[in-house]
Amino acid sequence: MNDDPPVQATILTAPPDFTTFMRNYQNMVYSTAVRLIGNETQAEDIAQEVFIKAHAHFDNLATSPTAGGWLKTVATNLSINHLQRYRKRWSFFSDLTRRDDDGGEKEVEFAAPDTFFGGVDTTERREWIERALRQLPEHQRVPLVLYHFEEMAYGEIARKLRVSLSKVKTDILRGREALAQILMRSGTLHESFER
Amino acid sequence: MNQMTPEELEKFIHRQLRDLPARTAPQSLEARVMAAVRQRALVPWYHKSWQYWPKAFRMGFLLLATAAAGAVIAAFHLGDAGINKSAFVTEASQRLGILSKIYRVAVWMGDIGSQVFASIPPVWLYGGLGVVALCYASFFGLGAAAYRTLYRNH
Repeated sequence: MNDDPPVQATILTAPPDFTTFMRNYQNMVYSTAVRLIGNETQAEDIAQEVFIKAHAHFDNLATSPTAGGWLKTVATNLSINHLQRYRKRWSFFSDLTRRDDDGGEKEVEFAAPDTFFGGVDTTERREWIERALRQLPEHQRVPLVLYHFEEMAYGEIARKLRVSLSKVKTDILRGREALAQILMRSGTLHESFER
Repeated sequence: MNQMTPEELEKFIHRQLRDLPARTAPQSLEARVMAAVRQRALVPWYHKSWQYWPKAFRMGFLLLATAAAGAVIAAFHLGDAGINKSAFVTEASQRLGILSKIYRVAVWMGDIGSQVFASIPPVWLYGGLGVVALCYASFFGLGAAAYRTLYRNH
């Protein structure tokens, strides 16, 4: 039984404000984690960890205009740490084959952008893209998400993921191609995709 | 079918991704976080890391630590200045007698262990090590096979 005043004060005063704070940011934090990790259950665990950390720093965060950025950075770092830990643990067991791509740029055959999603409504299109993103292999999805969603530069991504700059560029390029191919296939197989 | 340059592809993918709305967090997230926060709040301060200690205790700890460091330095200084070393050693050996007993028991156990180890025939020794290595490799292989067939596909 603990009846220390500071602890009681935390229980009584923090939750209402913190709840509002959390409701404001939980979708953003969860989106960051789920797009990086590609697994909803693990992303929820990461989001929980982020908000527990936020609670520990809530005195500063509550009034900070950069709270959103702080949460996003923590969510990104925790997600990457999680992936790296997971990769180390299972790298022997899995066959996460990484093509050592040449990195050369070439033109890719796809439908023209304006006809890519012809006749598909916005909600459906977004669902396809989210699903296509999840289907990407981790080594393509993570740098792609960091580049396009988190707006990190190639060099920053390379440092964060501890890989070479050329690998980051190649993985992002291949990720885009793979994403476009998955989307194109989904578009072609529209009827069967829906079932 | 048209061809897209990498630059066009980048712009196209960027537009599509940035157009995505935020994913809705599961409803269970809020309850989980609040439960974890409450649970953490119930942990007494002395079971948490130093940064969560009350300010008074942090200050007290700092003062104590500083005093202890000062006492150690003063003791060295006094010793260097000419304290009666033989009396100090006698006093210390009386008070730390239990430590020397523990040390003697440890040495005795080490001697027994090395005698037992020396009496094991080398064939048994290497055979035993081989069996252990084989078991380790088998379980490692079984784990890998189980992961590849059961876990990875989910």
